[in-house]
Amino acid sequence: METGLLRVLLNPGRFFEGRMQGEPSLKIPALIALVIGLIGAVSAVLIVNITIAMLPADMQAFGMIGAVFAAAFGVIGGFLNWFVFGIVFYLISMVFKGQGSLTRTLEFVGYGFLPQVFGGIIGAVFSYQLLSNLTIPAATTPEQIVEFSESLASTLATDPLAQIAGIVTILFMVWSANIWIFGMKYARNLSTRDAALTVGIPVGLYILYLLITLTGWL
Amino acid sequence: MKPLYLVILSLLCAVMALAGPASAGPADITVTAFSLDPPVLMKGDTGTLTVSVANHGAVPVAVRSARLYSSGVVALNDPYLSVGDIGAGTNRTFTFTVRADGGEGTFFPPFVLDFRDGAGSLRYPIPIRVEDTPLSASVISKPDAFSEGRTADITVRVGNPRPNAASGVQVVPQGTGFTATPTGGFIGALAPDASGTVTFNLTPAAETDVTFQVVWHNGINTRTTDLVLPIAFGEDKRQADPVITNVEVMPEAGRYRIVGDVMNVGLESARSVLVTPGAPATPTDPFRVYVIGTLDPDDVSSFEVTFKADAGVTEVPIIVEYRDDNGNRYTATRMVEVGGAAMPLEEQEGGIPVVGVIVAVLLALGIAGTIYYSWRRT
Repeated sequence: METGLLRVLLNPGRFFEGRMQGEPSLKIPALIALVIGLIGAVSAVLIVNITIAMLPADMQAFGMIGAVFAAAFGVIGGFLNWFVFGIVFYLISMVFKGQGSLTRTLEFVGYGFLPQVFGGIIGAVFSYQLLSNLTIPAATTPEQIVEFSESLASTLATDPLAQIAGIVTILFMVWSANIWIFGMKYARNLSTRDAALTVGIPVGLYILYLLITLTGWL
Repeated sequence: MKPLYLVILSLLCAVMALAGPASAGPADITVTAFSLDPPVLMKGDTGTLTVSVANHGAVPVAVRSARLYSSGVVALNDPYLSVGDIGAGTNRTFTFTVRADGGEGTFFPPFVLDFRDGAGSLRYPIPIRVEDTPLSASVISKPDAFSEGRTADITVRVGNPRPNAASGVQVVPQGTGFTATPTGGFIGALAPDASGTVTFNLTPAAETDVTFQVVWHNGINTRTTDLVLPIAFGEDKRQADPVITNVEVMPEAGRYRIVGDVMNVGLESARSVLVTPGAPATPTDPFRVYVIGTLDPDDVSSFEVTFKADAGVTEVPIIVEYRDDNGNRYTATRMVEVGGAAMPLEEQEGGIPVVGVIVAVLLALGIAGTIYYSWRRT
């Protein structure tokens, strides 16, 4: 049962221990990052569609271009997150005198993004549910578009569904962090405590940022 | 010869003295008075003519008949064919029903008494005046403009230009598309050159013509005069005029909130002022209706309403309801754009999506279990 990617989720310690026996490979982590990027692209397109819907008919062609860009940035974002988290973990682990290649770190961090696939899907469902319940008025002037965008941001910030989606994101981030602890332990040859600190500090700060955003303190 | 003349003269005087009373009887009959009710007839009117005859002589006078001949007016009843004696020093009254069948003017139908025994007759022309001038009616007070459902005071004056009095004068508004209070106004008797007024509270439901029918009696005859007042709706130059300004649309979770100002730019007060959103908006608490109360001219008041609206609704009417001093209800509507505002269409029960919460809790439990499991297996 605990084979393949499922093993990463349920028994990451054993999984990474086994992966350490072979050469580092970024194929599957890259695939995971691509899937996450595609899911992010879908969510981004959903948001852009709202803007397109309120644009005048003659300007909707520009909206389509925006949707393409949003999808592209969504896909790139998946890879960007992977690299940023990998490099941050690698740098922090250097404080704890971690040993191991960046490639191996990126490989294990990429596997740690696997829960984000499920989180991304559930988040996209929540986004769709939230956005499909919005009234999309036709805007004819840039001022109206700005006004709509402001009210949309206000609505999204205060909508209970959006807040639940944020909590779900945090839950999956915690799950990923758990996998990353095991990943960094083996990739950088750290103690469990040092691995937990390597992952916990940046992820904790990120979760703190998400919580502050959700509660509207910013 | 002189005594003979004296005898002849005495006999002649005696004959004359004996014959004198018999020939002086009809000469003592005179018409002492006559009256007509009504005093002045209108064309087609029926009146009652009373003629009084007196015997001023010392002996009764035998009368065969009394009749009134037609001249401009027609006697409707039969003549008196067996009158009998009119005693010495007594009066006798003869009554005729007459009808004015001719035109206007003064007519002189002769009253004729025929005496018995070939004593001749008495012929007396009775002056009867026929004038067709009706009562006059005019509206002396009405509003500048009429509005649907707005009660207006209308005063009607009725004057009597006739030479005789009119009785039982009343004014009755007639027609459809309005209500009037009272349903009729009674003035009573109107002397010549006198006038009377009646005021009606008239509430039109549609543009129409109101006929004020003046009904009066000339003797036993009922006469009418119509006064038509066209009711055309227009704008009262003084009426209250609430204007909505400074409108701000605020989308909220599950509803819209609109705040703004209402100003009365009319010259009369607007009373019982209410502000409410109209269809397709559905008013919701806490401000389904905003009560302002009385808004005097040039006064301004803020308002606040909350409502829901379906998807695709880009503008909703904001309705100002108010009354005038007479309690008539008016509305003023201003369309407000709600475009550019995002709003969840269906508010979840209690404001919290239960399904989302359940999913989040299950995920939290699942992830916690997975993390626990991963550390246990290490």
